[in-house]
Amino acid sequence: MSTTPNSRRRSPRLSEVSESFSPIGDTTLTGLSRLPIHNKFPLTPSRHATTSTTPSANRFTPRNRGAGAPATPFRLNAIQRRNANTPGRDRRKSGRIQRETTFDILRNLGKALAPATQPIRSSPSEKPEPEAPELAEPERDEFEILDNEPEMERPRLSLPLEEVYEVDEEPELRPPRLSLAIEEDDITVEYPRRATSELDRGRLSMMGPRMSENFGDATRLESDDEDDGDDTGLVQGDDDGDEAEETITSQGAFDRGGDTEDLGRFNFEFNFPSPPAPGVGDLDQDAPMQDDEGFELPPVDMPLDLDVGPGDDNDDVSSVSDAGGDFGMEFPAAEPIAMSESQSPGVAGGLREEQQYLPGVKQKKLSRHGIPVPNLPVGVVKKLAMRFARARHGSKAKISKETLAAIEQASSWFFEQASDDLAVYAKHAGRKTIDESDVTTLMRRQRHLNNATTVFSLAQKHLPKELLQDMRLAMPP
Amino acid sequence: MAATQKLYPRATVKRVVKAHSNRNVSKNADILIFLDYMLFMQELMRESSIQSRKVGEKNISPNSVRKVTEKTLRRFKG
Repeated sequence: MSTTPNSRRRSPRLSEVSESFSPIGDTTLTGLSRLPIHNKFPLTPSRHATTSTTPSANRFTPRNRGAGAPATPFRLNAIQRRNANTPGRDRRKSGRIQRETTFDILRNLGKALAPATQPIRSSPSEKPEPEAPELAEPERDEFEILDNEPEMERPRLSLPLEEVYEVDEEPELRPPRLSLAIEEDDITVEYPRRATSELDRGRLSMMGPRMSENFGDATRLESDDEDDGDDTGLVQGDDDGDEAEETITSQGAFDRGGDTEDLGRFNFEFNFPSPPAPGVGDLDQDAPMQDDEGFELPPVDMPLDLDVGPGDDNDDVSSVSDAGGDFGMEFPAAEPIAMSESQSPGVAGGLREEQQYLPGVKQKKLSRHGIPVPNLPVGVVKKLAMRFARARHGSKAKISKETLAAIEQASSWFFEQASDDLAVYAKHAGRKTIDESDVTTLMRRQRHLNNATTVFSLAQKHLPKELLQDMRLAMPP
Repeated sequence: MAATQKLYPRATVKRVVKAHSNRNVSKNADILIFLDYMLFMQELMRESSIQSRKVGEKNISPNSVRKVTEKTLRRFKG
């Protein structure tokens, strides 16, 4: 039926083709092309082939599918679902094939044979348990005697559907053990680092006898010094008086601490410049600061420690001095903090501490070398700040009193930091005075000076003429 | 800039540095130190004005100054 319209449709095109062929001069083709019946044949077979294959395919595919699909019920299910999603696909299919798959046949057969079956239940777990040991024991007697294990549960072949909720109720599993209590003092357990520093606050006093066992904990001392040095200093003094030999054995640990001492300083550098709201966080930050400063205390402060030491623990001075010798740097590091925080604020404290105690009083701040530090006059700071703020904000820049206080705080910190750096540079150069070269070194390290920028260009930009002249006089090129 | 009057009390700066470092300060080094301080102030005011503008304040607030102080100080670490 399909051939006739096709042939009719084809015929004019074929005539065109034949005419197009004719001018080429192929005589045989022109002769052949005139015959209309003969014309059909070279094309129609292919046409017939296509038309014949497609209905055969249409006819065979359902049969193929009927043969291949129900191999597993899952596959049948999938095919049915797919057909349901695309309903146009099986329009041409006869409904009989779809309705009767082999699975259906089998199911019908099953219904006919066993009409009273129940849906599958999960197998009970209670029954096989008494059987399991009986079955298992004769097989592996020796092993069970040997390692005395509870025998493995027999694997169940079905899911424990109704047991899922029961398992939760049964207290078979003990609740997981929480983290170790602080009181149970199991030294062999390696605590995380942070935890030690927190735990040790309570434990430091009883730390003496076990210190040698506590191998990996050498950092604990450092961290504790950082946290709050006050109890370490005094309490260690007690320990040394009581159990001198333990501290001697633990000296190795202390020496190991010397390695991490730099780490402490490293932390300190990060802690230091963060300016908290003045009253609030000062105490926390003071401890690491003062700790680090304590390392560099001049030996003038040392006898002070030794005087206080026997006052606290009523032991002989020798043990304390011995301890001081043992601990090297750590011991005097911890002492002044305890002292200055607890007893006398003005003895060896640093700048920040004084501000904490005497917030309103000016000109009484002491540097950590015990030298009173004058403030820069407020007017100077304000003038500078206004000048630079005006460069950004235009002429209407305003600086409130609180802002000015914050700026003053920042500038005092700046001077502290810069003076420390300058002192280090001068000391490195073996000088007693801070020189111009130190300052240029500092500025170079701050990346203010480089090949393009010299001190003079900077000074010309910022400083008035008289100072510039003074500077030029002081530093020939 | 106010070139006519004194820019800063030189003796004070010298004393400040001397107190902090426990070392003497050579005759004209304080000029350079103050120059460095001026750079610091410039940086501080710049950062704090950026910060205050970021927060949306009109003027520089003490909080923005405090916030940028740490950063600026760290930048000026020798």
